[in-house]
Amino acid sequence: MAKRTYEVMYIVNPDTDADKIEKLNEAVGKLIEKEGGEVVRMDDIGIRNLAYPIQKKTTGHYVLFEVDGSGQEILELERRMRVNDLIIRFVTVRVDEDRKKADKIRAKRDARLEKRASFRASKNEQRDSAEEQAEG
Amino acid sequence: MADQEMEVMNDRDGLGVGEDVIGDRPKRYQRRRSGNGLPDYLDWKNVDLLRNFVPERGKIMPRRISGITAKDQRRLAKAIKRARSMAMLPFVAD
Repeated sequence: MAKRTYEVMYIVNPDTDADKIEKLNEAVGKLIEKEGGEVVRMDDIGIRNLAYPIQKKTTGHYVLFEVDGSGQEILELERRMRVNDLIIRFVTVRVDEDRKKADKIRAKRDARLEKRASFRASKNEQRDSAEEQAEG
Repeated sequence: MADQEMEVMNDRDGLGVGEDVIGDRPKRYQRRRSGNGLPDYLDWKNVDLLRNFVPERGKIMPRRISGITAKDQRRLAKAIKRARSMAMLPFVAD
């Protein structure tokens, strides 16, 4: 199966204890590994204000995971997050395709800049040599 | 003279400068502005960047005002919508 990269973000109820959240994050990491995925990055962003109330709460505890895998682990993870009362909102975004596109654009631009620079350098050289001949 | 003025107003595709009539006072806008493109990889979590394109009311700024390319506008809209779903940006603010 092709390797894909996902960003999984979820908001935990801000009233839960810190050690409970830590346990939850650990469980999520373990589940991903068990299903054949790989946790690239785990970021506990912490309490943030919500732009609008969710379940009558104005703050939320944000957690972000970056996962490499086939997509199978995401399926299982989302199923479990849906039934978990602590998690009030979650989203999964596939990022590898957009990143690849961005790399391509960057490479193209760099190549063009380099080409332009070398062209300019050769032009300057020509002019310099022409000036030298005129002087001589 | 009046004919010339009309010409200027209708020159939407020529010089890239036109007038947008909102209410009874026309607002000037520029078709293309350089130097405010989006990054190659637009991160939907980068709320500070996205906020530049979300005015007070919480709506997505139209391309007419922001002056970014159509391609970038599509990417931007998607990023803003993702951020909205995670309560990082408002759907409506009043």
